[in-house]
Amino acid sequence: MSLTFDAVRKRFGSVQALDGISFSVEPGQVFGFLGANGAGKTTAMRICLDMIRADSGSVTLDGVPSMDLPRRTWGYLPEERGLYPRMKVLDQLAFFASLYGLPEGRARQEARDWLARFRVPDYADRRADQLSKGNQQKIQFIAAILHDPPVLIMDEPFTGLDPVNVALLKQAFLELRDRGKTLVFSTHQMEMVEEVCDALAIIDRGRLVVQGPMREVKRSTGKQVVRLAVAGDPDLPWLPGLPGVTVTRSGRDYTELEMGDGLDPETVLQAALSRGERVTHFEITEPSIERIFVEHVGRPVEAEDERTLAAAPGTPSAAGV
Amino acid sequence: MAVADDLRNIVIVARREYFSRLRTRTFVFSTVALMLLVTLLAAAPIAITWIGRGSNGSKVVVYTGPRVSLAASDVASSLNAQLNTDPTDPAIDASVTTDLAAARTAVVDGKLSGLLDIERQGSGDLAFTYVTTANPSLERLPLLMEQATSSIAIQDRLTRLGISPGEQAGVFAKADFSTVDPTAGQGGPTTGAEQAARFGIGFGLTILIFMAILLYGQWIAQSVAEEKSSRVMEVILNAASPFQLLGGKVTGVGALALTQYIVIAIPAGLVLLFQGQLSSLILGGAAQPSSLPQGISVALLAVFGLFFLLGFGLYSVLYAAAGSLVSRQEELNQLIGPLTMISTAGYLIAAWSASGLVDLERFPMTLLSYVPFLSPYLMLARFSSGGAGPIAVLIAAVILGLTIVAALWVAARIYSAGVLLYGQQPGFRKVWAALRAGR
Repeated sequence: MSLTFDAVRKRFGSVQALDGISFSVEPGQVFGFLGANGAGKTTAMRICLDMIRADSGSVTLDGVPSMDLPRRTWGYLPEERGLYPRMKVLDQLAFFASLYGLPEGRARQEARDWLARFRVPDYADRRADQLSKGNQQKIQFIAAILHDPPVLIMDEPFTGLDPVNVALLKQAFLELRDRGKTLVFSTHQMEMVEEVCDALAIIDRGRLVVQGPMREVKRSTGKQVVRLAVAGDPDLPWLPGLPGVTVTRSGRDYTELEMGDGLDPETVLQAALSRGERVTHFEITEPSIERIFVEHVGRPVEAEDERTLAAAPGTPSAAGV
Repeated sequence: MAVADDLRNIVIVARREYFSRLRTRTFVFSTVALMLLVTLLAAAPIAITWIGRGSNGSKVVVYTGPRVSLAASDVASSLNAQLNTDPTDPAIDASVTTDLAAARTAVVDGKLSGLLDIERQGSGDLAFTYVTTANPSLERLPLLMEQATSSIAIQDRLTRLGISPGEQAGVFAKADFSTVDPTAGQGGPTTGAEQAARFGIGFGLTILIFMAILLYGQWIAQSVAEEKSSRVMEVILNAASPFQLLGGKVTGVGALALTQYIVIAIPAGLVLLFQGQLSSLILGGAAQPSSLPQGISVALLAVFGLFFLLGFGLYSVLYAAAGSLVSRQEELNQLIGPLTMISTAGYLIAAWSASGLVDLERFPMTLLSYVPFLSPYLMLARFSSGGAGPIAVLIAAVILGLTIVAALWVAARIYSAGVLLYGQQPGFRKVWAALRAGR
């Protein structure tokens, strides 16, 4: 089942929230939806779910307008997490699932299975306000998938989770994908996209900047990235002097540089060797999604955003190898 | 299929709303407390009689002077017969004395309520002196004594004129007296007491509607505002349509309101219905047959049920829409204020009509009784007072029903947009914006 946005526009007062967004998600894909806060991700998702109506354009699933599809087609994890504070976890899960038409007995059984899979089987009889934020988020994820929807739409699903739960959630993503579900999620955490997405779209101020399968998007800049490390001096002061080379990251482990269009990465290796450096690491790779984002949008995802700070890919400590 | 889905989800939402509130401690306590209070109020007449049961009336002694031909004991029994009309609550306990000075002292000491001193004047007429410390402008007994003694004086004059006691009975027979209202319609109240009872009952029923709208309408608005502030709204909004959520909430809280009302009303109603049996059980005496209190009829209860459901439905749908517009609980009162004011206005007009300040059968008021937001109060009051027939009730109910359909549409629109709006001051601009943005 292919989910297609076709020239979707939406205006709120003087703000053009979506300015003609078009893209397609193939069935059985994990699709990442990237953008800074306020870029229009949530609006696009709400239009897809028929919570708000587009001014023009359409969202279709296999050619059927999204608003004509039964509600159980969609699983939705909103950005703002919410549960009934004083209701028991199992009761809420059964309540949500029964609204989608799942018989209550089956809903309770499946809910218990999922709680066990997320390693919290004893939360079934606890009230939601007795759980930590991260655990509430897991409950909400279960609420979104309990009725076994073919399409799962998630707004910032990884925000606020600790590494253990991030790993559990990623595992669940891949499992659902293997069962043929279509997963769309928004994020501003670039490394998540690299790890789990088959395809992605980058959105900025209501406009689609780039979209497609991961590999194609990575090649879209035409630039190559070289990672270089030498014994002894980690600073490599001569590197910026090479023609067409931009240092994008310098660290004690290795230095990352970007090659200008059409330049051969081999020239960097030869330059190092000719200077008598002992090369310990040389790698030709594709640019990170973060680089692609900066390349297309012209600036990094806002660092002043509080939630971004903890996992911001731009800070050296968080840049994964 | 859509209708089946709507029904299913309305039931699911209503069930959650109903049971999650039913189980709260506040609900259980308030219900039990109100039930006890109302039952006690219903039993109040029995209790008052029971408390007064021990008293045999105010102690009064009768003294007759030397030239009085009447026996003091005859006067005492005449007073007892005239003043103690209610055998369960006697007004006086009259007896005889021959010691005038001792009786005076007893009155001063408070051992006696009064002393009736009867003397024959030179003119031949009787002179009655009631010796009492009671303030005649505050207590009833001196006045009653005056009325009772004047009939004794008349009897004495008749006797002196030579009219036999048998003939006197004919003279004192009650006049054939009745009241007729030429404007009263057919089936309307026939006596003044019935008229008053009907106004009172109609007013009581409008209070019930007013309280339900005020109290449970607030619950609905709060429940929506809570879902919005806990952000659970967006989750359920994906699973159910605004119409289903609204319908479920109004149904669930409405059912809860009815549950509370019935739990409160059943014991009180039983006490009222079997007042006669209960009082004979507790106080002794002959049992009176059980019956509906004066002024209540099955038709009136049916019309009350109709306006209760429709009125509650209309207001609660709009209360829910108001709840969807606020970001914080504190803003809620600001938005539901205007609605509460309209509801209060309807209730006040009904109250004024019950006290005779406003005549609901005059032109502008008759028209108001068809206005949707006011008709639950005014048409009910008119029907209970006999001013409006079944056709007027039906017209008002149909108008009310159509308004509910329109209100549902408006509310669902406001709701679907309102629940996604955060951080703005509520106001009419916001209502308008939500109305335009809704789906």
